[in-house]
Amino acid sequence: MATTLDVLAWEIELAGARCIFLDKVIGQTMRSLPVEQQGMLIEGLHAVDLLSQHLTNLSAFARTMSADAPAEVTAPVGRAIGDITLGALADRMATAFGAEEAAAVVESGDVDLF
Amino acid sequence: MSFDTRSHKVMIAENERAVAEMLQIRLDVAGYHTMCCRNGAQTMEILSVMRPDVLILDLGLPDMDGWSILQALTNRFGKVPFPVLVMGRRLGVEDVRRAVSMGARDCLAKPFSGAEIVDRVERLLRRPAPVASAVAEARQLAAVESRF
Repeated sequence: MATTLDVLAWEIELAGARCIFLDKVIGQTMRSLPVEQQGMLIEGLHAVDLLSQHLTNLSAFARTMSADAPAEVTAPVGRAIGDITLGALADRMATAFGAEEAAAVVESGDVDLF
Repeated sequence: MSFDTRSHKVMIAENERAVAEMLQIRLDVAGYHTMCCRNGAQTMEILSVMRPDVLILDLGLPDMDGWSILQALTNRFGKVPFPVLVMGRRLGVEDVRRAVSMGARDCLAKPFSGAEIVDRVERLLRRPAPVASAVAEARQLAAVESRF
């Protein structure tokens, strides 16, 4: 269970880091626009900032849960990981969970939409 | 006082892809030049031709673990000429003490937040002299844990 929560925490933290990158790009784009057009991006900037905070908080929650999870408690992840259709994410998580779960992912097949 | 990150190179030695990518994005956004190595052999090869301003070193690399890399750096340089921040799962007081004795300047137990790593790297670059804060922190942690 602790490992599962660890892996989730890292993935949520990675999503949060991508939001921070997006926030930077939007900020740079905004500065390159005339002042009268900058308003269009402000709402988007706020949404990305909120999303980033949302993910950072969820990641912190998962980390603390991981630290507090009893070592002897385990959770099967094979079926759940089969629900992840983003190939790169499923592959990363399967690798982090270990060979047994990786095999489950291969059996499930994945759909990478991009 | 603002801190100029742009002139600093940070090398990340980490094989877990989510962790490596997260670290790289957070440090890139903070303005650092980053490069990522996925195993010990690649880390040693790159360190033979360039010196980073900070090395973030995972102790659990697959082919040559972080301990071996720290030892190899000590053998090569005597005293490691750049700050090394080691990270690993379930780091105990003895791990931290050992890492510091082998030349690491800071230690971080996994999992941690992206904000934490940016803060630690900046602290290392602002304070280049070796410090024993990691050991002190580990002692404090051990003292707290011993109460439970």
